[in-house]
Amino acid sequence: MIRGQIPILRIGTTLLATIHIELRDAVAEAFQADVLTTIEKDGAAGLLIDISGLDIVDSYVARIIAETGRMAKLMGTTTVLVGMRPEVAATLIRMGYSMEGVLTALNVDDGLELLGHIVPKQRGA
Amino acid sequence: MKSFSDYRKYMTILKLDEAEIQSRRAFFTLTDEDLQRLASLRPFAEKVTEEVVEQFYSLLLAHPETRKFFEDDATIRRVKRTQREYFLGLFAGKCDREYVEDRLRVGAAHERIGLAPKWYLGAYRQYLHLILNALQAELKDEERVRAAFQSIQRIVFFDVSLAIDTYIAANAEALVRHQQAIRELSTPVIRVYDRILLLPLVGAIDSIRAEQIMESVLLHVVEAQAKCIIIDIAGVPVVDTRVADHLLKTTAAVRLLGAQTILTGITAQVARTMVQLGVDVSTMHTLSRLSDGIELALGMVGKAITTAAPPAPASPSAVTPPVVGGTS
Repeated sequence: MIRGQIPILRIGTTLLATIHIELRDAVAEAFQADVLTTIEKDGAAGLLIDISGLDIVDSYVARIIAETGRMAKLMGTTTVLVGMRPEVAATLIRMGYSMEGVLTALNVDDGLELLGHIVPKQRGA
Repeated sequence: MKSFSDYRKYMTILKLDEAEIQSRRAFFTLTDEDLQRLASLRPFAEKVTEEVVEQFYSLLLAHPETRKFFEDDATIRRVKRTQREYFLGLFAGKCDREYVEDRLRVGAAHERIGLAPKWYLGAYRQYLHLILNALQAELKDEERVRAAFQSIQRIVFFDVSLAIDTYIAANAEALVRHQQAIRELSTPVIRVYDRILLLPLVGAIDSIRAEQIMESVLLHVVEAQAKCIIIDIAGVPVVDTRVADHLLKTTAAVRLLGAQTILTGITAQVARTMVQLGVDVSTMHTLSRLSDGIELALGMVGKAITTAAPPAPASPSAVTPPVVGGTS
C-alpha cells in the first residue's frame, strides 16, 4: 500500500483531507487506512473530505468515501464531504448513487461551519 | 448573397450527392431518353412559354388564397420571369447537380414566403394541365403527346420531390431553432439573496428538459456557492410520477454538492396527485407559497424577515423617494 499520498491536515479537532489525485484502488484503500489510523491515534471530532479537485468520481471511489465516513462515525468522528463538482454530482445521481447518510457542504468553510453546529450537539454540549 | 446560401445548404442537409440524385432519378424512371426527348421539345417550350405562364398566373390570381402572395405588379412581373426560366429549365435536357441545386430554390423560396405545400401542389396540377393542352395543340399526334407528356411528368415529379423535401427540411430547421430558444429560456436561475437561488419552472417538464434543469441547477449552485435553491413549480401544469422523480434526482444531486432544495408552488391539485400516486418527496422541503420558501431559505443562511420598527403614519412624505446621487 502507498500510504501518505493524500495529506491529512489537522485544524483543531477537525481533520482535513484534500483529494487532489485520482483515487485508484490502492490509493483509495491507503487513504482509508490513513484516515482511520489518524483518528485512532489522535482522535478527531470531525473529518472534512475535500473532493473539489476531482472531476471524475466513479462508483468505487464514491463507495470508499461513503464507507470511510461510516467507519469514522463508528469511531466518533463526523464526516462531511465538501466541494463536489456539478458534473460529478450529476453523474453519481444518474448512476443512482445518492450517497445517503453522508453529510455534504459546498466548500471547506461551510463544512467547518456545519461541523461546528453538529459536533457539539452530538457530544451533548 | 443570402438567398444563395439559403438553398445551397439543403444540398448538404438532404445529402443530395451524385449517388442520391441517380437513385432518385431511377425511382422516378427519369431516363436519359426522357431528357433527350425533353431537349428535343425545347423549340416547342420556347414557343408556348409566354402563353403557359400567362394562363398559369391568371389562374393563381383568380384564387383569393394564392392571390395574397402577389402583392403588386412588380412582384408579378418578377415571378413571371422566374416562372419562364423555370419552365424552359424543364426542357434543358439536363438533370445534374446544377439542375437539382436550382430546383431546391423553389422549395426554399416557397417556404420562406409561407406558401403552404397544398397551394404549391394544387398550382402544379394546373400547370401540368396547361402544358398538356399546349402539347395537344402543338403536336396533334396522340402518341407523341403521350410520350412527351410522360417525360414531362417524370421530370416534374422529380422537381416536386425536391421542393417538398426542401419544405420539410426548412421546417425541421425552424423547429430545431425554436426548441433551442425555448431551452435557453426554460431554466432561468435567479439570485434572490446572497447564497439563495430561485428557479421558477414554467411549462411541461420532459426528460430532456429535466436533464437540463439538473445541469443548470448544479452549475448555478456551485457558481453562486448557494446554500439553497428554491424550485417553484407553480407554472408546471402536470406533476406526475416522472416529473416528481426528476425533481427528487435534482434534489439528491444538489445535496451532494452540499446545498439544499426547497420545492414551492405546490397547489392543492398537485399535493393531491402526489399523494394519490404515492410519490414520496419527504426528502425535500416542500411548501405551497413561494414567500414561505424564501423565508425558509433565509433561515438557512441565518437571516430572517422582520417587521420594520414602528409603522410610520400614512402620510405622503413617508413615500417620498430618496434623493439619488450626490450631485445637486
